[in-house]
Amino acid sequence: MSVLSTKYGKKPHSPSELNMQDSTDALVKLAIKAGDPYVAAAVHELATGASKRRLEAQMMGTRRTALSLARWEHTPASVLAALSGIGDDAVDLRLDKNPNTASGVLSNLYVDASNKRNLNLTKLIAQHRNSEAGILKSIALHAEDAESLLALSKNPSATAEVLACLSARVADGELSVALNKNIAQNISASSDLLARIYEHSDLHTQAAIIGHVNCPDSLIAAAMDSEDLLVMRTLARDKRVTADTLGRYARSDDAGVRCGVAANAATPVSLISELINDRSELVRREIASRADLLPVHIVKLLVDADVWVRQRLARNEIAPLPVLRAFAADAQADVRRAVARNTQCPLELLEVLATDSNAWVRAAVAYQHHTPQELLVELSADEDVDVLSGVANNPNTPQQILEKLVTSSEADVRRGVILNKAATRKTLLPLLEDPYYLHRVLMVTNPSMQELDKWNLREDPDYQVRFSVYRWAVKNIAPINARYIVGNEVIRRRRV
Amino acid sequence: MKILVAVKQVAALEEDFEIRADGKDVDEDFMLYDLNEWDDYSLEEAMKIKESSDTEVEVVVVSVGPDRVDESLRKCLAKGADRAIRVWDDSAEGSDAVVIGRILAEVIKKEAPDMVFAGVQSSDQAYASTGISVASYLNWPHAAVVADLQYKPGDNKAVVRRELEGGLLQEVEINCPAVLTIQLGINKPRYASLRGIKQAATKPIEEVSLGDLSLSAGDVGAANSMSRVRRMYVPEKGRATMIEGTLAEQAAKIIQIINEFKGA
Repeated sequence: MSVLSTKYGKKPHSPSELNMQDSTDALVKLAIKAGDPYVAAAVHELATGASKRRLEAQMMGTRRTALSLARWEHTPASVLAALSGIGDDAVDLRLDKNPNTASGVLSNLYVDASNKRNLNLTKLIAQHRNSEAGILKSIALHAEDAESLLALSKNPSATAEVLACLSARVADGELSVALNKNIAQNISASSDLLARIYEHSDLHTQAAIIGHVNCPDSLIAAAMDSEDLLVMRTLARDKRVTADTLGRYARSDDAGVRCGVAANAATPVSLISELINDRSELVRREIASRADLLPVHIVKLLVDADVWVRQRLARNEIAPLPVLRAFAADAQADVRRAVARNTQCPLELLEVLATDSNAWVRAAVAYQHHTPQELLVELSADEDVDVLSGVANNPNTPQQILEKLVTSSEADVRRGVILNKAATRKTLLPLLEDPYYLHRVLMVTNPSMQELDKWNLREDPDYQVRFSVYRWAVKNIAPINARYIVGNEVIRRRRV
Repeated sequence: MKILVAVKQVAALEEDFEIRADGKDVDEDFMLYDLNEWDDYSLEEAMKIKESSDTEVEVVVVSVGPDRVDESLRKCLAKGADRAIRVWDDSAEGSDAVVIGRILAEVIKKEAPDMVFAGVQSSDQAYASTGISVASYLNWPHAAVVADLQYKPGDNKAVVRRELEGGLLQEVEINCPAVLTIQLGINKPRYASLRGIKQAATKPIEEVSLGDLSLSAGDVGAANSMSRVRRMYVPEKGRATMIEGTLAEQAAKIIQIINEFKGA
């Protein structure tokens, strides 16, 4: 009997056996016993009272650990909140930068930063996505430094009201111009505010406002008369622009404007027929990706001299079979690869492309989700790592082949099997001992693995794996059987 | 047959850091320690020779540093090194690369390996002189920036390809034993297996004192080095400026700057 079958072959407990409170307490006790700051961080949100204090002592035992947790992108919000109580400026700086820091913590840090007149921290709070509207409004109304105000004007979490306050407060001078440029690109800016800014802005800002999703229709209508290139390039991609205007833009001397028309879903077929002969390959590339091409267009693009035009048409789902057949024999490997990646690529072409001399083309066949089993079996004999990675990723690959690929010396191939949604637990089991820590982290979140498989990784040498296991346990606390966790530890102690 | 690999635990800096009170280094709280990247390649090269040899090859890793260095040595053991040696004495603090080379040379005299590998340089200090210092103290031949190695245990010569400027390679025949400083990319370093990591956790790390090497505090440390750090500081910011404005405006400014540099 193999080590794996004895170690991982136990039957998992059913959710009906659960006692949630026991599970929570058991998990916290185990984390305290582990004495690992990252495990402590993983379960911190479950703990209360003395247990919580013990976990925090583990996490903040040294300044080095506290700094490390404060900057780590996976540190849970409750831990970051606890760290904010230390009163260490270096820790606070990391909390202000950490995307997981909660709004309440940021509010407290803002008060501290204001009292200490720490402009750097204020700027970080002004740009943080989790900063609450009240704090951002306070910064808009009271901050004195330009950097904080500029950071705020770029923050998409700033509400329309906050941005309006900011724009009204700084109404003149260079700073006002810079703020309005940012507000013109901020998704939260309201139609009214954009209209007010538009009136007294330079052409760059006006073009940005024209491209804003909240730009009032009246401004769009007025801008259609503009001859400014920036405005025309922006409007050429806008579905609200009239057919007449698109027609004028299609005859512009500027390729950027014509590209916009070529990419615009509202562009009428008559203009596509014009632009398909455009002197700029950039325009023809946009045309080649359109979903509304007529047969006459496709015939024209089929013989285009530009590789990217042919490549884009080869990827286009509307490309008919004769076109795909022609492109499958194209001299350029990128075009042949595009055929193999086309979701409508038929089996007859996949079979041809599976024997292509270029490994990237064969890899595209291996990754194609409707490549049949037989072809994948053939491709599994390939020596190229990209082809094998594709086979490993493909849900149509037989388990027998996947079982071989988990022993590959190439990490990319083994990762392909982990990411394969059809890979069974039996196939994946050896990867619980994969040398690459990230693969073991992925195994913790793999839905094919059983609870016990994941739980057995809790003493992994890598702290990120241990953290992932305990985080998984916290998030899935209900499916874990408390008696098992505690019982397992009792058994282990007896053995010792 | 024995290959000795000199390794170093290097420090990487966090994005935000503070300089130590004495102004000579970064505060240790802001350092992230790991095995020097070049040394990972040196160890892999030694492991390749060991695994492809018909005769028994022992790979010994050696480092000079305090207790925390054990973590990096265990990483080497987990990857397959047979033994690990750590040399330390508090008086060695502040030693320059030449003094470290002297300490390592004394270890090598005791171990009597057939070949010595070191990384071309360390990622934190980048003097690129430890390996060469070792060769000098031993009076052994050496080759620096080795990008390819042809050597079989027992051979009295090795052929190395050295990486030069301009994409050139220089093929050199070198007498053995020799000290080779290994360049990145010479091989593909392995990840340690879980089994290897677990076994390494229980393997002993041989701790060696200066006295064991017939050295004393008077031979090491900053005072006995030929170079000493006077201060470490962040230089004043240069002329870099953030390009502000709308996206189109930023693109236009970048084009303008490029054209100015091109004289257009």
